[in-house]
Amino acid sequence: MTSLAIQLSPRRRRAFGLLVRTEITLALRRPVGIIVALGIPFLLLVVFGSIPSTMRASAAFGGISFFTLYVPTLLVFVLLAVGIGTLPQTLATYRQQGVLRRMSTTPVPPSWLLAAQMTINVILAALSITILVGLGALAFGLELPSSVGGWLVTLLSLVLTIAATLGLGLCAAALAPTPQIAGAIQALLFYPLAFLSGLYVPLQEIHSSALSDIAKVVPTGAGVNALHASFLGQSPGVEPLLVLAGWAIVFSLAAARLFRWE
Amino acid sequence: MLLQAEAIKSVPGSAHGVQPVIAVDHLHKAYGSTVAVDDISFTVNPGEIFGILGRNGAGKTTTVECVTGLRRPDRGTISVLGLDPRRDRRELHERVGVQLQQSALQDRIRVAEAVELYASFYERPADGRELLATLGLEGSRDHYFAKLSGGQKQRLSIVLALIGQPEIAVLDELTTGLDPEARRETWSLIEGIRDRGVTIVLVTHYMEEAERLCDRVALIDHGKVTALDHPAALGVRSNTSKRVRLTAPEGLDDGLLWALPEVSGVEHHGQDVVVIGSGDLLTAVILAFDRAGLRASDVRPETANLEDAFLALIDEPTQSTPTQMETKR
Repeated sequence: MTSLAIQLSPRRRRAFGLLVRTEITLALRRPVGIIVALGIPFLLLVVFGSIPSTMRASAAFGGISFFTLYVPTLLVFVLLAVGIGTLPQTLATYRQQGVLRRMSTTPVPPSWLLAAQMTINVILAALSITILVGLGALAFGLELPSSVGGWLVTLLSLVLTIAATLGLGLCAAALAPTPQIAGAIQALLFYPLAFLSGLYVPLQEIHSSALSDIAKVVPTGAGVNALHASFLGQSPGVEPLLVLAGWAIVFSLAAARLFRWE
Repeated sequence: MLLQAEAIKSVPGSAHGVQPVIAVDHLHKAYGSTVAVDDISFTVNPGEIFGILGRNGAGKTTTVECVTGLRRPDRGTISVLGLDPRRDRRELHERVGVQLQQSALQDRIRVAEAVELYASFYERPADGRELLATLGLEGSRDHYFAKLSGGQKQRLSIVLALIGQPEIAVLDELTTGLDPEARRETWSLIEGIRDRGVTIVLVTHYMEEAERLCDRVALIDHGKVTALDHPAALGVRSNTSKRVRLTAPEGLDDGLLWALPEVSGVEHHGQDVVVIGSGDLLTAVILAFDRAGLRASDVRPETANLEDAFLALIDEPTQSTPTQMETKR
């Protein structure tokens, strides 16, 4: 997609910009996706940041606070929300109603609408994560990575996680024959994957080796593990990054193969 | 009135010296074992309104989808403005505006936003504001797509089909689902578009619409062109199936009707009699009743609805191969 953008004439770039702007306008008119990806994690951050006991270092979490532990989970929650919160249903609706078919008769192919949807979700994720990290650091004393390397690993972890979640969302959109089924797939994927990111119970609190093993190989668990280590200035190791990259590749290839335009 | 002499370019193929803007040659397209288009050929001349008329499932939409590059034909060649619809898809879409069935816009996009967005897709877009005004949508600029009436949606789809200043506009089932008044309004709009010099391919299953608008009509049935001519010429042929329905008066003798040269059939449906024939059937029947001293009540002509006209027209080619017809249904 980036190579596509480079080749575009100024006029076609303008068309893509307008397409993105239009999709943002439409998303603001029906802001469920924005509430889930921005509002909910923001509220959770403020709530947990305001409870003194969550801010104290705890031996149970290896000498760090619950809050420090929870921020990576919130970031992964954002990436999960932009990938499968509303994207599959939106795309399935566009397909069923014939929005994609309508575009297929213009010089701009319907794949651009997909690209625009991905773009606005990346923008939403970047905005939400910036707010969470910024507010966490400024208001609640969140410790940020202390080295350039730490930041780079954090960024890499975020990029690989969103590649995996967006890929999963595209797969769900490709497989769902109707918007209703897309909605059901979203819910079926969202809650287990959110659980395995430690949203309800911190991953460190899960004293089941089977569940920990599963968490290590699903995108959300691997994302949290990678982010957790990089926020603490440690190396996350290759394993979670490889897991994320693997999912990103598998989901993208599957979506490209399975997606139907009408 | 239907036969505006200057509108007629050729009978029934392309005229000498006129380069067709669309040439479809031996087009075939099947979906699995279902044959949708079975050896269709036709040409469309610049500046005409060319009708593709047929029942639902006849192969009309598949034909225009192949012509506009959305589907790859199994066999046959298509040339549109000298372009190959598959290979030169993007240029084709710059120059051919298309309005398809089962296509829509995002529910909450406003009319003006949709027009601005679609205008940005083209090299030389038309003035969207002016187009909206021409199509009577000036007052709906701020309305959501989902809130538009059926007629407004269709008019917006015409605006979007014309926003790129196309040389050809393909309009598929434009008036299906519209009330008669909205349909007639749409017809004058289509004539207006033609007057701007745009060649129009009009897909429809309304005989009346084809008669009113088209310079030439290709009748499609079971994936084949069964007739291709001026609508008036087709109309004469379909007149063989004119029908008059009336409530049978006391003491009606069918012989009275059969004696009329115009009559080719008499059917009884309960209280009703349906007289089938040609020419000025209605007048002939009423006069015959009058002469016999009978009072026919509730006389109503069943004008050439498409089904009848079709049956008359497609009977000839399909009668010889009835088994083929069955297997394709």
